[in-house]
Amino acid sequence: MLTLKRVAKKFYQTRGDVPVVQNLSLSLKKGEVYGFLGPNGAGKTTTVKMVAGLLFADEGKITIGKYAAGSVEAQAVIGFMPENPQFYRHLKAVEVLHFVGELFGLDAPTITQRSEELLRQVGLEKSANEPVRTFSKGMHQRLGFAVALMNNPAILVLDEPLDGLDPIGRLDFKKLILKAKREGRTVFFSSHILSDVEELCDRVGIIIAGRLVAEDAPKKLVRGQAKTLEEYFVKLAKQHA
Amino acid sequence: MRDTVFAIARNTFKETIRDRILYSLLAFAVLAIAGSWLAGSVSLGQETRVIQNFGLTAMLVFLLVITIFIGTQLVYREVERKTIYMVLTKPVSRDAFYLGKFLGLALTLTVVTAVMGAAFLGLVALKTNTVSAIQVVAIGLMLFEAWLLTAVGMLFSSFTAPLSSAIYTFCLALIGHASTVLLAISEKSAPIVGSIIQFVYYVFPNLEKFNLRNEVVFGAPVDWVFVGWGAAYAVVYTGALLLFGIAIIRRHEF
Repeated sequence: MLTLKRVAKKFYQTRGDVPVVQNLSLSLKKGEVYGFLGPNGAGKTTTVKMVAGLLFADEGKITIGKYAAGSVEAQAVIGFMPENPQFYRHLKAVEVLHFVGELFGLDAPTITQRSEELLRQVGLEKSANEPVRTFSKGMHQRLGFAVALMNNPAILVLDEPLDGLDPIGRLDFKKLILKAKREGRTVFFSSHILSDVEELCDRVGIIIAGRLVAEDAPKKLVRGQAKTLEEYFVKLAKQHA
Repeated sequence: MRDTVFAIARNTFKETIRDRILYSLLAFAVLAIAGSWLAGSVSLGQETRVIQNFGLTAMLVFLLVITIFIGTQLVYREVERKTIYMVLTKPVSRDAFYLGKFLGLALTLTVVTAVMGAAFLGLVALKTNTVSAIQVVAIGLMLFEAWLLTAVGMLFSSFTAPLSSAIYTFCLALIGHASTVLLAISEKSAPIVGSIIQFVYYVFPNLEKFNLRNEVVFGAPVDWVFVGWGAAYAVVYTGALLLFGIAIIRRHEF
């Protein structure tokens, strides 16, 4: 469903190139929830942005289905939610979804029906006609998730979706991710909230300093090495420091 | 692609038209145009000419201010506020995004010009009981100039900060309006200096091709050949700037 083959990305700075992602290969199966973990600055967001077509890989290949990441065809099958999603401040929540529906080429009745359905699903139906500039961070995240689902995507790419949410918001979001899994969607999400990842993911990949250093089902990774995924992650981070 | 271009254009139009600063600038513009009545009343026997000259100049100045103010922020603000993530991660090519932004702003400028033009023509009609074709055509050419400068502003804003873009666009507008003077200077300068000035003359936009203020003031008939060339020049120059901007944004990483 989503494949990264020997992907590398450098950022160019005056003092020289800084490798951010190096020789990264991973593959997601259909319907799988994959957690992409790593400490700050490990290359998670850079990878997610390459999958979403916002950054270009210097080396390697990223494919979504049979299409190259960033192509119009690939964008049509993914639903993307960036870290701290931002929206046009002049629009109301329902207008945001209408605009996104238009970008996906959906017809007006489908857009209206889907917008209502998604706003209800993420718990924003009462705020549908409020300008997004009045929204709290949690409401932004919820609207971001609705935007990501607008095209009924086969694959969801979420960058730190649980970051900055209160416990109730996190619980709601976990339910939404599990619902997406039940609906057969593939979910690729980055996070550093390990307890949630352990709970949600079929498999996790741990990236440290741009390299994938471990990948498996959370229970298999931890078995015999640590009590929790968090403990295992800290141990691994120290080893690669 | 056409539908996504129009969707982005509509959204950009909504975004700019709901901007309170635009309304403040537009209110000042209408006040300045109305002020031409005052300027006309203190001139001796030249009221209509002064009203037309003052009114059209006020329109041009405010149109330039609005164009530079909005045009140079448009793409930059999308990147800075990260709203561009919402668009470019959808099945939208970067070409469609850039064209949509341009068309949306061009539509806003059309509405702004229509409002200012109505104020100006209303004032002239009040004074002379008539509106001539040359006055309407002069306003139309001013709009072409605004569209061209929008493309300039967007091009700069795709790779530099809004303040720098605004300064560059303003300088280009000044050079563009001094182009006939530049050509005259080049003819009287030393060969090397003359060549440099001629290079500037031919490469930078010649905004005097959109200037019909003198014709309006002296009530000249419409020279349709001049107007046609001006419109064609605007289309070709704006098209080239848009292509250049698209080439930049295609390689841009966000």
